[in-house]
Parts: sequence; structure tokens; C-alpha cells
Amino acid sequence: MPETGAKRGSAWGGWGLIAFPMAVLTVFTLAPTAAGLALSVFEWDGSSAPVFIGARHYAGLLADERFGPALRNTLIFALAGVPLSVLAGFALALACDAPWFRGRAVVRTLLFLPQIVSVAATGLMWRWLLDGTGGALPGALRSAGIAAPDFLQAGWWPLASLIVIGVWRQAGFCMVLYLAALSNVSRSLYEAGRVDGAGSWGLLRHVTWPQAMPMTGFLTLTGLISALQVFDLVIVLVGDVESPATATLNVLVFREFRQGRLGYASAIGTMIFALTMTVTALGLLRPRARAAGRGGGA
Amino acid sequence: MSADDGNRGARAGRGRLWVCAALAFVTAAYAAPLLNMVAVSLRQASSAATPGLDPLPMIRDASGRSLARTSAAYWSTLGLDAARNYRDVWSGPGSDFPTYLRNSMLVALPSVAGAVVSSCLAAYGFARLRWRGREVLFLILLATLMLPQAVLMVPQYLLFRSAGLVGTFAPLWLPSCMAGAFSVFLLRQFFRTIPAELDEAARIDGCSHLGILWRVIVPLSRPAIALVALLQFVASWNDFLGPLLYLNHQDRYTLTLGLHLYLAQQNQVPWNLVMAASAITMAPVVVVYAFSRRFFTEGAATQGLKE
Repeated sequence: MPETGAKRGSAWGGWGLIAFPMAVLTVFTLAPTAAGLALSVFEWDGSSAPVFIGARHYAGLLADERFGPALRNTLIFALAGVPLSVLAGFALALACDAPWFRGRAVVRTLLFLPQIVSVAATGLMWRWLLDGTGGALPGALRSAGIAAPDFLQAGWWPLASLIVIGVWRQAGFCMVLYLAALSNVSRSLYEAGRVDGAGSWGLLRHVTWPQAMPMTGFLTLTGLISALQVFDLVIVLVGDVESPATATLNVLVFREFRQGRLGYASAIGTMIFALTMTVTALGLLRPRARAAGRGGGA
Repeated sequence: MSADDGNRGARAGRGRLWVCAALAFVTAAYAAPLLNMVAVSLRQASSAATPGLDPLPMIRDASGRSLARTSAAYWSTLGLDAARNYRDVWSGPGSDFPTYLRNSMLVALPSVAGAVVSSCLAAYGFARLRWRGREVLFLILLATLMLPQAVLMVPQYLLFRSAGLVGTFAPLWLPSCMAGAFSVFLLRQFFRTIPAELDEAARIDGCSHLGILWRVIVPLSRPAIALVALLQFVASWNDFLGPLLYLNHQDRYTLTLGLHLYLAQQNQVPWNLVMAASAITMAPVVVVYAFSRRFFTEGAATQGLKE
């Protein structure tokens, strides 16, 4: 009897407590997102009345010669950079997790640092190294008699530089989360594996890697979601320039937005959203669902 | 037998050596750009772009001879150069770092307060109370992690513009009050590890939900709350897109934006000054990180996430 009373009280209390955060969420995230998706079928400069134009922005995207390279750059950055960061994080966590390894705290602290350094400062550090005119690495290569490419301007180099810097930023973060996941793997699994005659490679393949799978799924999915939106790293590294070598989808959104083509900007944003959804749906749902199921059971 | 053992031991030893070498290499690769930033910020302009990670640059005296690194003249020149670099950046023409620093504080601190309060409220609602629609709403909250900023950006901008808030800090504060999905998730998991009997006892003593949250849950969840606060601080402090969109006057610029502007103003990049500016930007976060490292990396706050 008293339980029902408590429950009824809780129901109101529950709504009361989360009403404020949820109202903010609705006003500042959900509603603008819906509006953003809707805006992509309008022509609007932000001041005069919006004009409904149907799918014309999307047709315009196909004809826009900047769209193809931007899509390509975004996909390459995400699909090359994220798996590299996750695998590097896993390898680093394994190395750090060895029972005889003493310097864990130092490694963990240093490798996490890029996460807390602003992208603006990160971009500057790497420009010092890579800049074509006064950069340290081209300078060093030149003085060694090697013709240095312009790492931030020429051909595929800028994209490759972006990927390297992206991995540099993310790998330490992945390592820290993997270390937490590895500490949860039951020792008895390893012992059972050893009894069955598994070597260290077998244990890695059949115990550690599957046990860390939920974390791998989580890191890959969240990594891809943010990598598909890459913007600030590009801006601080190569500047706000119109370059098919480095422009990503989000850079295009920002440029269109700046020029007052709000509907078109939203259409490109919607493409990023569609990509995110596709990536989420493509097989990545599986490990996450497993992890969520386990969390729910606990 | 014993020979085999010895062989295996030697092999394990070699393996360890490789792992240590690899880790040392990676750690150095991570530390180098950061140390390098500080090192370059101490140099004279003429040697700032010199490659190499020499923390002690070559310094020439007036007649062009390089000074010995053991001489007093070397160290006094180094100190004066460094002081001049930082002074030039701090209040040089076209840059106003004291104002940027104040603005960054004005953006970050209210955001932290808003994020902590709203996440605690929401996490308590999700962790402790049973109500219709709880699971659905929680899923929606988690799904917001997937929303790209790009879709949000334009309507959010129009919303703040119609409210007349562009150019103020409000567009940077308000979204952080919306109980970010990750913070709520983290706190919810942490709150669940606190025994429910404590709530019951407090309720019998006449505590309301707010009372239970404030008197029982919050004091027991300090590590997780600290982590949420720190993540928000770092996110607000380092935010680039938000200030770029909303702050249109240099008086309101934050450090990240000021740093970008500072670089954009220079024709020939004076690397020593730019690095000094970066170091100024980074220093507060690095200090915060140094004091709170264990929350970030040692799992004190994430224990709730371990299933």
C-alpha cells in the first residue's frame, strides 16, 4: 500500500526534476534540429520570407563542384582516422596494461593531454611543424637535401596531415577508455584460455579483443560521429580557404552560412546527419546494443 | 628444461624491451609538440622556426657570436627574451589577452554551473524515480549524441538572433544547461551505485526529492560531479565554433578566438609570439588538468560505468 503512494509521488517528482533540463534540451537542441532539417527545403537568406523550393537544394548539391571533394575528404578523414585512433588506443592500452609496466600514470597523463588542449592551439603547434614557408619539418627536410612537399597545401598531403593530427588527438583518449574496459575483463577467462593451450596471441584474439568489443563499438561510433563533423581542425590548420584538398562538409556548411544561404547550408548539414545515421545503422548498432543490454541488466 | 625456461625468459625480456621502447617513443611523440610550444615561446624571433626540439636555443650576442650555454649572459638574455615575448603578446598591438582571459572565464564558469545543476537534476530523475516515459526519454537523450552540430547551427543561431542575444555570452551559456547526454549518463550510472536505503532513510526523515539529491546523493557523488564540471570547463574553454558564430566584437572574444585572430593578423608568422600566445591560452586548462588528472584518467568518477 505505501508503495503505490510513493510511486505516485515519484511520478510527479520525476517530471518535476527533469522538466528544466528537458525544456532546455527541447528548446535549444531538438526544436532547432527539426527546424534545421525543415530549412533544407527552403530558400532563405535569414531576413526576407523563406520560399519553399522542395528538393532543389539537394539537386543543387549534385551540381555543386565543391560538394564531391568535401564529401570525399570528410569520408576519408572519418573512415581512415577513426579506425586508426581506435586501434592505436587499443594497442597502447594493451602495452600499458602489462602487469610489469610501471610508467602507466605518466603515459596515461601525457597521452590524454591533447584532449584538453584547444583545437586552436593544436593547429598552431602542428603548423609550426608543417607550415610550407616557415615550418620546421619542411625546413629540416630541405636542409637535408630532400625536396619537401607542402604538407598543408599540396595534393593529398593536407588531408594526410589532418588524419595524422586527428589520430594524435584521439588515440590517447581511446587508450584511457580501453584501460578502464580491460580492467573489467575477468582474470578467470585468461586462465581458462591458458588451460586450453592458448598462447598470448590466442588470448588476445579470443579473450581480450572480444571482451573489449563493446568499448570498441562505442569509441568507433562516437569517433565517427564527431569525425564526420570535423570543422575547427581544418580551419585552424589551413585557414578559412576554399580548397578542394581540405574542405569538409562542415566547412562548406559554415561558408554557406556566412554568405547567408541558410537553406543550402541546412541541406549540407542534413547530408552530414544522413551520413551519421548511415554509419550508425551499418553494423555498428550491434555491439552497442549488446553493451546497452548488459548495462540494462545490471 | 632449465635452458628452455631461460630462453623463454630472455624472449619475454626482449618483448618487454620492445613494448617499453614503443611506449617511450609514443609518449615522446605526444610530449614533444607541447614542450616544443613552450620552448619556441622562449626564443628570439630569428631562431623561432629552427627545427629541432632544443629547449635551449642558440643565442647570439650583439657581435653575432653565439653565447655559451653556461654563461650568465646566456641565461639573462634567454630570460629577457622570454619575458619580452610574453609581454608583447599579453598587451601588444591588436591583441588583448587580459580581456580574452576574462571572457573565457565568463563563458566557462556559468556554463559549468549550468551543466552541473541540470545534469544532476536529470540524472536523479533517471536513476532514482520511476515514471512513465522514463526509458523513452533517456533513449532520446542518448540519441542527441548523434545530432550533428551542422544541422543545429543555423536554427540555433536564428533563435538566439531573434532573442537579440547574438554578441552576448548567453548563446554559449544556455546550451550547456541542457544536461548533456554524456554527463547525465555518467551521473546516472554513478547515482545507481549509491544504496537506495539511504534515500529511504532520508525520505522517512521528511526529505523531499530535492533534499535527498542535495543532502544524500550529491555529497556521495563528488568525483563524478567533479568530472562533469571539468569536462564542461574544458569544452567551454576550448570551444571554437560557438564563439566564432556568436561573438562579433573583439571585446567579447574568448582566448581561442583571440588566438586565431592574433594569427590571422600576422603576415609573417612570428612563431615565438604565437607559441607564447598558445601557452597563455593553454595554461589555465593545464593547471586544472594537473589538479584533477585522477578524475579524467584514473576512473575514480567512472566506476559506475564498469557495468
